Formats: sequence, structure tokens, C-alpha cells
Amino acid sequence: MGLKYVDEYRDASLAKQLISKINDVSEKPLRLMEVCGTHTMSIFRHGIRTVLPGNITLLAGPGCPVCVTAQKDIDAFIQFARMDDVIVTTFGDLIKVPGSGSSLAREQSLGADVRIVYSVFDATNIAKENPGQQVVFCGVGFETTIPTIAASVLTASGDGLENFSIYSANKLTPPALAALMEADGVEIDGFILPGHVSVITGTDAYRGTFEKYDIPSVISGFEPVDILKAVLMLVEQNEKGVPALENAYPRAVSDQGNTKAKIIVDQVFEICDASWRGIGTIPQSGMCLKDAFHSFDAAIKFAMDLPDVPEPKGCACGEILMGLKTPKECKLYKKRCTPMDPVGPCMVSSEGACAAFIKYSN
Amino acid sequence: MKTDKILLDHGSGGKISHSLFSQLILPLFENSALAQQDDGAVLEVGGQQLAFSTDSYVVDPIFFPGGNIGDLAVNGTINDVSMCGAHPLFISAGLIMEEGFPIEDLKVILKTMAHAAKKAGVQIVTGDTKVVPRGKADKIFINTSGIGLIPKGVNVSGNHAKPGDKIIVSGTIADHGITVLSTREGLKFDSDVKSDSAPLNHMVKAILDSGCDVHVLRDPTRGGLGTTLNEIASQSNVQIQIFEESLPVHNSVKGICELLGFDPLYIANEGKLIAFVPEDDADKVLKIIQQDEFGKDAVVIGEVKESNPGKVVMQTAIGGLRRVDMLTGEQLPRIC
Repeated sequence: MGLKYVDEYRDASLAKQLISKINDVSEKPLRLMEVCGTHTMSIFRHGIRTVLPGNITLLAGPGCPVCVTAQKDIDAFIQFARMDDVIVTTFGDLIKVPGSGSSLAREQSLGADVRIVYSVFDATNIAKENPGQQVVFCGVGFETTIPTIAASVLTASGDGLENFSIYSANKLTPPALAALMEADGVEIDGFILPGHVSVITGTDAYRGTFEKYDIPSVISGFEPVDILKAVLMLVEQNEKGVPALENAYPRAVSDQGNTKAKIIVDQVFEICDASWRGIGTIPQSGMCLKDAFHSFDAAIKFAMDLPDVPEPKGCACGEILMGLKTPKECKLYKKRCTPMDPVGPCMVSSEGACAAFIKYSN
Repeated sequence: MKTDKILLDHGSGGKISHSLFSQLILPLFENSALAQQDDGAVLEVGGQQLAFSTDSYVVDPIFFPGGNIGDLAVNGTINDVSMCGAHPLFISAGLIMEEGFPIEDLKVILKTMAHAAKKAGVQIVTGDTKVVPRGKADKIFINTSGIGLIPKGVNVSGNHAKPGDKIIVSGTIADHGITVLSTREGLKFDSDVKSDSAPLNHMVKAILDSGCDVHVLRDPTRGGLGTTLNEIASQSNVQIQIFEESLPVHNSVKGICELLGFDPLYIANEGKLIAFVPEDDADKVLKIIQQDEFGKDAVVIGEVKESNPGKVVMQTAIGGLRRVDMLTGEQLPRIC
């Protein structure tokens, strides 16, 4: 029995052909960054690192949504959880991330009403079912998750749902790529660009960054054959010395992206500066609610404006997200920081580089 | 962040549950039977070996495709006793009910328990009922304990895996966990998945009666196959290697796991066993399992190796290698 659109991209013989071609073509040492956390997970899960030649290094990038969420935003979620008559709704990944001294999971064990949802619309339904309580949704994620959050705000606005609001820590991918290219010490020979994000943004969204920095860039799907194909394309671009912006995921990604989703996002959100964990503020890299929707902005509704907090001492999460360090080069890795007792979010999220290293490699 | 409170993770069956057991429970109750850390305790009484096991059931929802909390509670304990190499004989049942719980629902659950016991050939011989005020428990919780006799000459344990052993799983993995998850409020998948809740005592009896040499029997319940294999690798101080291409997973289960970012290796089973058998007997044991009504999809999924003791590794479909670690806490659905 096969699983359509999955099994054919896990085909062992096709994968082995790609692996042998990569081995044939690749000569230069290459540092390729998979921008997306789902890629990191998939690369480990399928053992892709173990089949690539030794001259190719894969680096986990800043695309794990939980990992790049600033400590002050995690602290804000915890503050909401501590308020009376507030139900905090969140995607599961976020619940164990330590803020300054607590986590949503800990607040839950102390009696806070924290609920894991699978869609932001579960949160609006909870708001409808609990008219006496305020429901706050922790808005974390990239272009992939922003459209449904925007749609939920439009629905809540249309339904006059006054007890629902979101705290937007949502972020955009292309400005992060540009920030990486500008940062000191960052050595990247090519980007494996995110598949899900690109379904929404389209290939065109990366054109500006590509043209400015002339960096080999290939959009990839998430199955092993997809990833190996993208790696091969990046190897070929590097060996030939001809950087290009290519789409290795055409079954899902178009040049323009999902225009309907983009229209919905534009109705609700506007671009603003955003604080990234370990990287700092990146101009024009976040999404804030437009003035017309301020009544759904939890930060405004509850006057939640926490100061930036220093990250835990010794935690190299930020440098790891920028490809400057590997998890094993962090002083806390497997010592003070373990999945059982994590210090930074890279160790918490299933898509975090440190968690993936510990879980899947020896 | 160390915690001074019990978190939901402590009940996940993963590393955090294990640390609760090894750091808090085992030192206080220390005895040789408990220290074996098998599915049940093996005890010697009057020259006869007994297996004794207990388990509590708090599943939400209490009714799900393929079963309910009642047959789950009976089958679960039957299986734990069976995995000690025993023939389960008698079961106890303790019911903790929330005020307001519908008697009709209770009737359905009790009938299912009676039916499950009959099917397995065990008797529910003692029990208890308690009622707590509304809100102090969630509908109904059930505890069952069971005892069984271990035939002379049978000696299976998580400690007995040996290099060269083949590893057999009796059918598709992750069916129960995914059924419960997708039935739970808020996740409305329209799928054909159902729980695999089933008694495995007849299958175990057939295996043991065959005279084949069996080193380990385990039912990979909470924490799934990945966690159970890690427990055995650590108990027996061996390396376990499994093959991704051999793992039996239903298509719908695979699809839901893909969608939610879950790994079927860590999802609960309630009617599956894994057997570690020396290579010479592996084919015979596999055929015996396949002849059982709950073992039709049984396959060999891996083998035991000497190097890297304590570790579980998987050869992926594309020929890569990756570690299968024990789950830390509960698996959480990812953001995107």
C-alpha cells in the first residue's frame, strides 16, 4: 500500500541514484543551510547526513518557529497564562519552551488554563464556548501559518467575537536570509529554501535576496528525494560557479505563490520590525495587526509590552540558528541543557537543531 | 528547568516517566522483582512461578473506534501478565467514577469487560467501586491487576535479548494511539483507523507451547515501539537495529502521523507484541504469530547486535542510519 505524494518521494532506488550523482559531482567543500525546521527534522529522520559525502555540511537555519521566538515573547505568553479568566491557546511545540523562570507547561501544572490547539480556529471556537473568559492565541510561525491566523481575525471580527485576541510574534523568511548574509562570520554556500513557506510566498519572494547576494538557492519539498534533489542542484550550481534561484518543489510551489492567502494576510497584517532570538531585531521581518484590528491584538488589549530579556548564559541557540556553531560546539549541549531539562528553545522544539541532534544522531 | 510538580510528561512513558520510577519509586520500594523492570513482577510462591501485574486506565475519550476503556483495561493487564511468559488466570478491577457518570455508559463498559475476559479465558474475581464528586475525576478511571502462572522452563525477560536475535512485531504499529488522538475532541479526522486493543495470551501460549527458544516478549504500549526497544536495549545491554522499510504501519495512520508531525514509533499499541527470538527459531515463531487472529501482519523488523550497547538505530528507507532515542516526554503536534 502506498501513501500518495509521499511514498514516491521516499523511493529508495531514486534516492540512491541521487546520492550517487551527488557523490560524483561534488568536489568543493560546501556549507549548505536548510532554512526550515521541518527540513532539519526530515534530514535527521531519513539519515540524509549519513549518506552525503564528507565535504558537504548541512547547517540548520533560523526556520524553526519556536527557536526564533524571543524570550520576551515567551514571557508574555506565560504572563497571559497567569492572568485570571484567561485561556491561553497555543500550538503544541511552544508549551515546554522555558521563558524567564517558567514555561507554559509549568503554568499549566500550577492550574493555568493552557490549551494545545491544532488550528487557530480551535481557539476561536474555544472563545465562542467561553464567553466569560478571554482567549489569547500565541501567534508564532512563518508565512505558512500567518494566513490562517489572519483568517481567524477576519472571522472573529465578522462574528463580533470580543473575547478573542492574538499575540503576534509571527515572522517573515526573506528578511532573515538577508540578515544572515549581512552577519559577520556567516559562511553559507547555498540555501535549501523552505517548501511550505514558499507555497504561500512563491519563488518570487526570494528574488530580491538572491539578486543582492548572488547565493545559490533552491526551494525544496520535505521528502528525502526532494531534499537530495535540492542538494544536487546546489552542488551543481556551486561546482559550475553559476548561482541560481531554482524551484525543486514545483508540484506545490509557483512563482507567485498563493495570492488568495496573501490578500487575506494584507487585509489584517502589516509588516513591522521583529525581535529574533539570538539574532536580535531584524527590520521589517515581523507581522503586526493593522490599526483596524487592534481590538484583537492581545499586546494592546492587555498592555503587554515586556522589555527584551538577556538569553540564558552560555546558550548558543542564536549562533546555531545562524550556522555559526553546531549544537555540539555549545558549552551547555548535553551537559546543562538536555531534552529533559532544556535551557534554550533549540533543545525543546521537535524542529530545533539541538533536539534533532540528540534525538537522531549518536 | 527542573520541576517540583508532576507534569503531564511524567505520564508519557518516555525518559521523564523512567526518571520518576528510577529516582523516586524504585529506591523506596526496592526489591528484586520490581528491579527487573518488566511488564509484570515474576514471583516464586510454593515452588511455582507467578506473574503479577497492574495498570490504570484513564483514556480520554472512554469510547473510541475499536473498543472502550473497559476492554482496554482487561486486555492491557492480560497482555502485561502474558509478556512475563505466563498464562493469565485472574483479574481484579477497581472503578473510580465521577458523580453524574451515566449508568448506561457504565453498563456498556462492564459488558465489554466481561466479554473481553471471556474471550481471553480469564475471570474477573475481585474488585472495588468508588465515586468521587463531580470534577474530581474525568468520567471513569479503571485499575486492573492480574495474576498468571508461568509454565516450567519458561524464562522470558527484557534482560534476555542476545546478539543475533531476530525481532518480530505481531502487526501494524501506532493504531491505538492514533485512534484515540483522532477521536479526541478537536481533531475530527474522517478515517478508518481503529484501536488494536486485543488479548495476546493465546498468541503467547502458542509461541511458548511450540518449544521455540524465546528471549524477550513485550507489548509496546505507552511510549510505543521506539520506547520499548530502548528499554530492552538498555536492560539487555545490546544494540538493536531495525529497518524502516519493514515497519508495518497502516496507510491512514501514516497519513495522520505525517499531518501532525508524529512518529509512529512512539505511538501506543494495545494489541501488539514484540518477540526476540534466536535466528534459528525466528521463521517458526513468525509463522505461529501469523496464524493467530491478532498476528496476521506480523513481520521481522530488525535484529540484535553486539556493538554500541544500549542504543537503538534504524536503517532508513534511503539507506541512511539514524538513532531511535527514547522519547523524552509526550509527543506534541508541531506548528507547521
